[in-house]
Amino acid sequence: MQFKHKQLDNGLRIIAEVNPGAQSAAVGFFVRTGSRDESAEINGVSHFLEHMLFKGTDTLSALEVNEAFDRLGAKFNAFTSEENTVYYAAVLPEQLEAVTELWAQLMRPTLRKDDFDMEKQVILEEIAMYLDMPEFLVFDRGREMFFKDHPCGQSVLGTVQSITDLTVEQMRDYFGRRYAPDNITVVCCGNVDFDRLCSCVQRHCGHWTAAQADRRHPAHRPAPKKVYDHKSGLFRQHLALYSPAVSIQDDRWYVAKLLSVIVGDSSGSRYFWSLVDPAIADTAMLELASMDQTGAFCSYVCCDPENAAQVEDILSRIFAELARDGIGAAELEAARNKVLSSVALNSEQPMGRLVSLGFNWVYRSEYISVLQDIEHIRSVTVEQVHDLLSQFRLGDYTLYALGPAKQ
Amino acid sequence: MQNLNHYQLANGMTLLGERMDHIQSASFHILTPLGAARLADGCCGAASVLADWLFRGAGDRSSRQLVEALDNLGIHRNTGITPYHLTFNAALEGSNLQAALELYADILLAPKLEAEQFELSRNLAIQELKGLDDDPRGKVMMLLYEQFYPDPFGRPGQGKEAELEALTAGQCADIAAQLFDPSQVIVSAAGKFDFEPVCRAVEGLFDRPAAGAPTSHTPAPAPRRYAHYPNEGAQMHIGLMTEAPPISAGHYYETMAAVSILSGSMSSRLFTEVREKRGLCYAVGARYHTLKDHAGIACYAGTTPDKAQQTLEVIRQQFGQLKDGITDDELQRAKIGLKSSLIMKSESSGARAAGIAGDHFLLGRVRPLEEIRQAIENLTVDAVMDFLRQHPFETFTAVTIGPKEIRV
Repeated sequence: MQFKHKQLDNGLRIIAEVNPGAQSAAVGFFVRTGSRDESAEINGVSHFLEHMLFKGTDTLSALEVNEAFDRLGAKFNAFTSEENTVYYAAVLPEQLEAVTELWAQLMRPTLRKDDFDMEKQVILEEIAMYLDMPEFLVFDRGREMFFKDHPCGQSVLGTVQSITDLTVEQMRDYFGRRYAPDNITVVCCGNVDFDRLCSCVQRHCGHWTAAQADRRHPAHRPAPKKVYDHKSGLFRQHLALYSPAVSIQDDRWYVAKLLSVIVGDSSGSRYFWSLVDPAIADTAMLELASMDQTGAFCSYVCCDPENAAQVEDILSRIFAELARDGIGAAELEAARNKVLSSVALNSEQPMGRLVSLGFNWVYRSEYISVLQDIEHIRSVTVEQVHDLLSQFRLGDYTLYALGPAKQ
Repeated sequence: MQNLNHYQLANGMTLLGERMDHIQSASFHILTPLGAARLADGCCGAASVLADWLFRGAGDRSSRQLVEALDNLGIHRNTGITPYHLTFNAALEGSNLQAALELYADILLAPKLEAEQFELSRNLAIQELKGLDDDPRGKVMMLLYEQFYPDPFGRPGQGKEAELEALTAGQCADIAAQLFDPSQVIVSAAGKFDFEPVCRAVEGLFDRPAAGAPTSHTPAPAPRRYAHYPNEGAQMHIGLMTEAPPISAGHYYETMAAVSILSGSMSSRLFTEVREKRGLCYAVGARYHTLKDHAGIACYAGTTPDKAQQTLEVIRQQFGQLKDGITDDELQRAKIGLKSSLIMKSESSGARAAGIAGDHFLLGRVRPLEEIRQAIENLTVDAVMDFLRQHPFETFTAVTIGPKEIRV
């Protein structure tokens, strides 16, 4: 396993973790832009733009783009979050250069008006799809409440209103500001010829002009509150909880990761024994959502509506006990073993490695090998977890609950 | 570079293993004959209860000790219910494989099955089933299989509420006792491990005669009508299914090519016609679903109510037009896609363990990856067209959930 990196004159960064023994290779274009970089007026544009990149360039139609990917046997897709838009593909090693070339071309899309109008329909269908997924709804609404005026509270999808009102000119303007080479990192892993890859990227992206895309980092001062909503047609109670956590840049990230597993993993965690094992809730989990200079612990619980009050009491008790008594050494060991095994399993396929490799570079300008990752996980101590618990109080949470309409 | 080993225990249990040297992990699947179609009438959902209850203490370990032991081995575990099997699968570091199998031998052969724990497991199974009411996309596919497959093969693994409510700890414990009919148990493992010591360990751990046999039902035809379930959601969730030959019937590769042309990727026909050209859906797709003697192509689409009728019509049209011709370029793309999925799966111990067990059960033998690759390579437009003329995909079973019934 060998790490290589290079920066083009226009600021575009290229990194690779080369494993000549891998059966496949993966490449991703990581654009540092997402819903937090949007104004309220154009909310949802990052995600909509991600769809539009597949619509082609001056020389490629949408169908030709899809056919080209398929001819390469690429497993490809893209995702948009609050702060990143990532385009990726996994291919056989001999197709890596061709698929990289294709992505590089697509990074300069035409953004045709008729494609924009048609895709708007698809985006509105996607928003409708999530309206039928209460688990997603409570996360979205909970995040909005937790972050309040901070840009991380903005929805990735946007609203029916913001998407309906969005114009193709607004999208072109946003594209021009955000898809600049100094805001993009090309990430590769697996069976990769790095020098060839660099010349391919240089050939296609070397002439792009830098734009110094910035990002606002306003202070986030959460003020915990609770909102209980009802929706007719629902049968279960869905709860989302948010409380502050470390950012991705924070050195305590591994400590926070292990704490999240101790508290809210699907098996053997505090949530599991207090909520799922006694059948008070059928799902209860806590995740660490670390972001650029901010972060959140977020929980999701699904239960019978009549258990809702009990669930909240139990959650408060779990948080109080953690604050008072801390964690046990055996709990930390079990969490450590689970995380270590996830790292090992994910790293077996280039595609599984791509995202963590890319984010480490995008956020921290740092390469962390699988072995270093393992070392970091091994070195976390009970005392560090206790320090973290005193600095980030899980009990000070914002809650959004959605349940059936009252009779 | 195939390295498949097959071992049969004295009691009839099958152990299959494939070594993968380029990875550090190992995965295993244990297929037990307690699938939804093999449970006695009135016990629908017992497999779902057992998938939880069996983990609530086994051997000399309490519920908590057992979960801790599994977690300490870093096991990523899951259970799955198909019409034939209650399957236990696990992925972990290769060196922990034997220790994990010891725990699973206890879970399968010496579960505590305490009555008070049963109530909790049943309660959770009922909650999970009710959870589907808030997940119309998942629910529509469950209802679709029930409409499509001859009974008992469409019975839902999640169970039925009334039957779950009536289920007793005694009934469920009896079913668990049948779990270990060794001649019906398949253990498959893939990844970094040595087969010989695993065979010896499994021989010692699972040396047990049959205790019972799963229920055998005489299949009854499914209704295969259109069924609509009203709800107040934002979208219409449409499930469609049409008959296809099961994998054992010998047209697997032609079927996969047809499904791939229809829905294998973003240049496939459904994506292009339904989403790209008409903007009708965000989610639309079809996949091949095969049991031992029955199979179909299942399709899902989600769309807002006013577009539902047109969505259905475009999808049916795309299925129907397959028999009118496919292009060489389409088949080439389908072949490349199928081959590249195959190679990427060969990097994952979990995917390979599942493939080995599935092949052994459905085909009675495990296809080497090279054989699959060659068969994909050998597909021709003529062969796929012959197949499509015999299987024109014109008759559909349909289920919808949403605010507005459509005409089918």
